[in-house]
Amino acid sequence: MRFAVCIHQVPDVAAPAQVRDGQLVLDAGRVVLDAYAASAVEAALQLKESHGGEVEVVLVGPQKAAETLRKALAMGADRGTHLLIPEDAALDSRAVVALLAEHLGGSEADAILTGKQSQDTDAGLVGGMLAEALGRPYVTNAVGLEQDGDSLVVTRQGDRGQEVIALPAPCLVTCSNDMNDPRIPNLKGIMASKKKPVETVEASPEAPAVRTVAYAMPPEREPGQRVEGDEPAAVAQTLVRLLSDEARAI
Amino acid sequence: MPAQPFNIDDAFLFESMLGEEERLIMESARDYAQSKLEPRALEGNQDEVFHPEIPREMGEMGLLGITVAEEYGGAGASYTAYGLVARELERVDSAYRSFASVQSSLVMFPIEAFGTAEQKERFLPKLATGEMIGCFGLTEPNHGSDPGSMVTTALKVDGGWKLNGAKMWITNSPVADVGVVWAKAKESKDDPGVIRGFLVEKGMEGYTAPKTHNKMSLRASITGEMVFDDVFVPEANVFPEIRGLKGPFMCLNNARYGIAWGAVGAAEDCYRRARQYVMERHQFGHPLGSMQLVQTKLANMLTEITQMQLLAWRLGDLRDKGQGHHSMVSLAKRNNVGTALDIARVARDMMGGNGITGEYRVIHHMVNLESVNTYEGTYDIHGLILGRELTGIQAFTPLGNASSGDGATTAPPQVAKEVASN
Repeated sequence: MRFAVCIHQVPDVAAPAQVRDGQLVLDAGRVVLDAYAASAVEAALQLKESHGGEVEVVLVGPQKAAETLRKALAMGADRGTHLLIPEDAALDSRAVVALLAEHLGGSEADAILTGKQSQDTDAGLVGGMLAEALGRPYVTNAVGLEQDGDSLVVTRQGDRGQEVIALPAPCLVTCSNDMNDPRIPNLKGIMASKKKPVETVEASPEAPAVRTVAYAMPPEREPGQRVEGDEPAAVAQTLVRLLSDEARAI
Repeated sequence: MPAQPFNIDDAFLFESMLGEEERLIMESARDYAQSKLEPRALEGNQDEVFHPEIPREMGEMGLLGITVAEEYGGAGASYTAYGLVARELERVDSAYRSFASVQSSLVMFPIEAFGTAEQKERFLPKLATGEMIGCFGLTEPNHGSDPGSMVTTALKVDGGWKLNGAKMWITNSPVADVGVVWAKAKESKDDPGVIRGFLVEKGMEGYTAPKTHNKMSLRASITGEMVFDDVFVPEANVFPEIRGLKGPFMCLNNARYGIAWGAVGAAEDCYRRARQYVMERHQFGHPLGSMQLVQTKLANMLTEITQMQLLAWRLGDLRDKGQGHHSMVSLAKRNNVGTALDIARVARDMMGGNGITGEYRVIHHMVNLESVNTYEGTYDIHGLILGRELTGIQAFTPLGNASSGDGATTAPPQVAKEVASN
């Protein structure tokens, strides 16, 4: 199968970050391949390795995101397309989808894979909107992906269990990070990625319809209540009463 | 508010000066080291275990022989990339960086630089995958800082050489498949001999490599001796051209360069762990991090680490441009390891009693760095290398009073005058 995997760059969640005056401050300035997108790349590579085919990675991002595209090529993708946007462009999901749909509209990819959501915004909008824009059937939150002839067999994680869905190509799947453990590119892959074709297309994103006006830290948890006393039985009784009457936990 | 936030791990943003390829290599090495090595490091260090699957894993990742040509299984990457990998491995444990340093700089490098085409083809690809493990025999029981006085000999015999003698403090030797051994090659018994390199293979008759027990440092690395009792080494296993201490010193120059980077990783890990600890630990009703003494300790650590990072980065950049000098490597190895050791001791102190336990990991770095400060040229020997560079006067052999005492009449050791500059 021919796969097109949509990837993007996000701030490294392991690096220090803080909110100051309603603005997000990323101290380390370190950016990485989105973890959900990395699982999508890994899934495509595994299917390519077992069934043959080709993996193209498509990235919307500024110049510095080229490094993330190269990481996916170092993992083993065959070629890349960088839809280049200005450094200061603030895209919403609709604008991202418009760029991806324009590029993938004429694509011969049998399956388009995306992360189920982005690690930074957790919005989870691009996959579904892109499928709609391209008129492709799609399945979200895949935790397993198999190939059966011209169809994909998708294991989808639901709230109370898993569904196994046959999805004929051409199609789109959004991938969970529970699906696999993305490979770490080795040095051979990194050196080989230099020779892989990358097409850079200057893209003109639409003005965003929605924008983030401020960031805030989650509210701090209120301090707990300490039950003290010399008599263990009395302490236990108080604890049970509090858990039952106030916390309603038992 | 300044437009650029302050990066508390990389205060002068040295990582932003790296090329794309180098950053990718750094990230891969970091992902591997943190996900695969860190979970095994506690057991490795406490129980003296070098997990036998690690060489193959490193080989699979391409972390062995990074600067070696691709045709021999290396990555053909830059010295900067090699240094960044050393930093990531030593961020976990100096033992893992030691393994990779020996394999890459002390075994694969000399085979590539001094070996015959046949030797390169026979050994390098398997060393690159970790299928073969290598070691490097220079230090002897009675000859550490003064290797020129070595007593291991190789006597010319029909079809090859007979090795006799012993090497000590040899990383990897008990598990090594091949050892690069430096010995005084003598055409006849009366020949004073000249130092040459020999490839000694596991299983050669008369060769044993007993393990050194009860090390209190680098416990996740296997160390041993190499003992040669009339070991026949065929001519095919001898480096054909290289003579004198230049050979081993060129290898050590590369390994010391990696150590200068590795020490950055160990120091950064101590600093980060101490920083996290003092923010979480409360005494007298306040986090330790709110106390003046603690804050200035952190400030000193970051200041020193920043200098170490910039020194290592600049040295790598100069070596990649062909502008390196062995005295730059001495300066960087000496400074970075000595400073990392100081940082580890302070971090241990900041963690109080908890810092004594292995679970907090800082004490592992602290005791590991004692070895790193000693091996590959001690702190003081590198001071003397720099001293000779500055004054033109060698001070390895004390001049003392003219007398019949041991030191005064000893000829100066063969010092590294002839070492190549890069």
